[in-house]
Amino acid sequence: MIRTIRDQACIVGVGHTEYSSDSGRSEMKLACEAIRAAMDDAGLGPEDIDGIAKYTMDNNDPVLIAKNLRLPRLNFAAEVSYGGGGGPVGTVLLAAMAVATGQAQAVAAFRAMNERSGRGTPRYGQGSTEPGAGGVQSYHAPYGLFSPAQMVALAAHRHMHLYGTESIHFGEIAVACRHHANHNPDATMYGCPMSLDDHQSSRMISTPLHLFDCCLESDGGAAVIVTTPERARDLRQRPVTIAAGGMGIGAWNDRSVLKNVDAPETESTVIARHVFEDAGIGHDDIDVLFLYDHFTPLVLMALEEYGFCRRGEGKDFVTGGRLQWPDGELPLNTSGGNLSEGYLHGMQNNIEAVRQLRGQSRCQVEGAEYAFVASGNAVPTTAMILRRDG
Amino acid sequence: MNKPTEFPYPIPEFAAEYYWEACNRGEFPMQRCTACARYRWMPGALCPYCDSADLEWTPLSGRGTVSTWTVVTHAVHPAAVARVPYIIAEVELEEQPGLRVISNLVKIDPEEITIGLPVEVEFREHSSGQKLPVFKPRR
Repeated sequence: MIRTIRDQACIVGVGHTEYSSDSGRSEMKLACEAIRAAMDDAGLGPEDIDGIAKYTMDNNDPVLIAKNLRLPRLNFAAEVSYGGGGGPVGTVLLAAMAVATGQAQAVAAFRAMNERSGRGTPRYGQGSTEPGAGGVQSYHAPYGLFSPAQMVALAAHRHMHLYGTESIHFGEIAVACRHHANHNPDATMYGCPMSLDDHQSSRMISTPLHLFDCCLESDGGAAVIVTTPERARDLRQRPVTIAAGGMGIGAWNDRSVLKNVDAPETESTVIARHVFEDAGIGHDDIDVLFLYDHFTPLVLMALEEYGFCRRGEGKDFVTGGRLQWPDGELPLNTSGGNLSEGYLHGMQNNIEAVRQLRGQSRCQVEGAEYAFVASGNAVPTTAMILRRDG
Repeated sequence: MNKPTEFPYPIPEFAAEYYWEACNRGEFPMQRCTACARYRWMPGALCPYCDSADLEWTPLSGRGTVSTWTVVTHAVHPAAVARVPYIIAEVELEEQPGLRVISNLVKIDPEEITIGLPVEVEFREHSSGQKLPVFKPRR
């Protein structure tokens, strides 16, 4: 019995727009530009794409995307729960399941938004100005708890208390991503180097989170194309195979992003239970790492919860440049990530993972064969292992 | 649109109407399972620890300890501009390990806050008239 998604789907095309603070065009235009760029990269035309996988939070209707891109028929359209932060790998896995089960031949997974300019999408870091707050927010907004940064700050302090983690350890993650962005002319923070001192002296947002612990806000679009291994062999680029993947959801957090640091099982540990075994590899086989970097403390916790180190040992793991290309043994988010490349809800990390495994990165890890890619920690999440073929 | 001068008031969820009314009386209750005697927060339909759907509003002492906190220094809401820095805390209530609630810490300097700090509830009135439970140090 086939138990996993292993080896049943490949990423064959990647594409993105520029990442900016004001794109000057509609979110639909960004989506179509990104998907078309990914189709061109793969060597696929409109008649080849018959599925679309989107983030729940994305405003672009698949029907209108199909119309604008002249896709003659769609056999599949779906959106991933909690995307948002669960979306980057979640959309790819939806696409993989669709092609693996024959529901579609080739699926575009995308994210496009004007989140920084606010033209179409609200800035996620700002509180609602409605006079009343309902649902889960009724317990939080009256106290001024609005933004993901504030929620992550609570988790960060708890982690610091339990394990002795310090702000400087979060800084190591920010510095690694910024270092990589400075090799990537497409990155928002290209040409803006950052030291640990710069991180420590950046202004406080919500203690212990400094400005540079927080991801960017961006306008832009990013997309990947997923198809079957058989189809992938005949296309323009070297295929990148989905070696394993999974979704992890738990009842342990009261609210998405408001993390219970004390919980023994988290959304990420749920995935870690099977994803390496499914791929037939160990943690040591991972050559390059992509962890959704909304906020640095959650990257550190993801390292722990996916088992790259033990719970509480993230502070030691990140110290000493381990996450920095070219000398670190496990380079992280080698195009700069949400923190320093652009904030497309992590879709750019999928693109860079594919480039690494094709040998096309600007921070190329020599001989990279396996990449681990995770969506956001502290939300119902998704993760996958990608493998270079050939 | 006028910019709000205060944080939003709570719009009670179906399961929480009793809670907010009790706060207005100066009480601080939570749902307690009549079968396994454990409390749950936030309010909900079922006991998450056993199969019971029989939850009973039960007053708490209002005493607890700080399990984590943050001092908000960057305003992300119009009403926050005049409020920063303000303190959001998660308080673990003495009735049950892991029973934690989000609130504000008041009557304390940020430098004095530690995890484990003993605190107790008091009520702050929102301009809507709703009383909100907040926590101050237990001296």
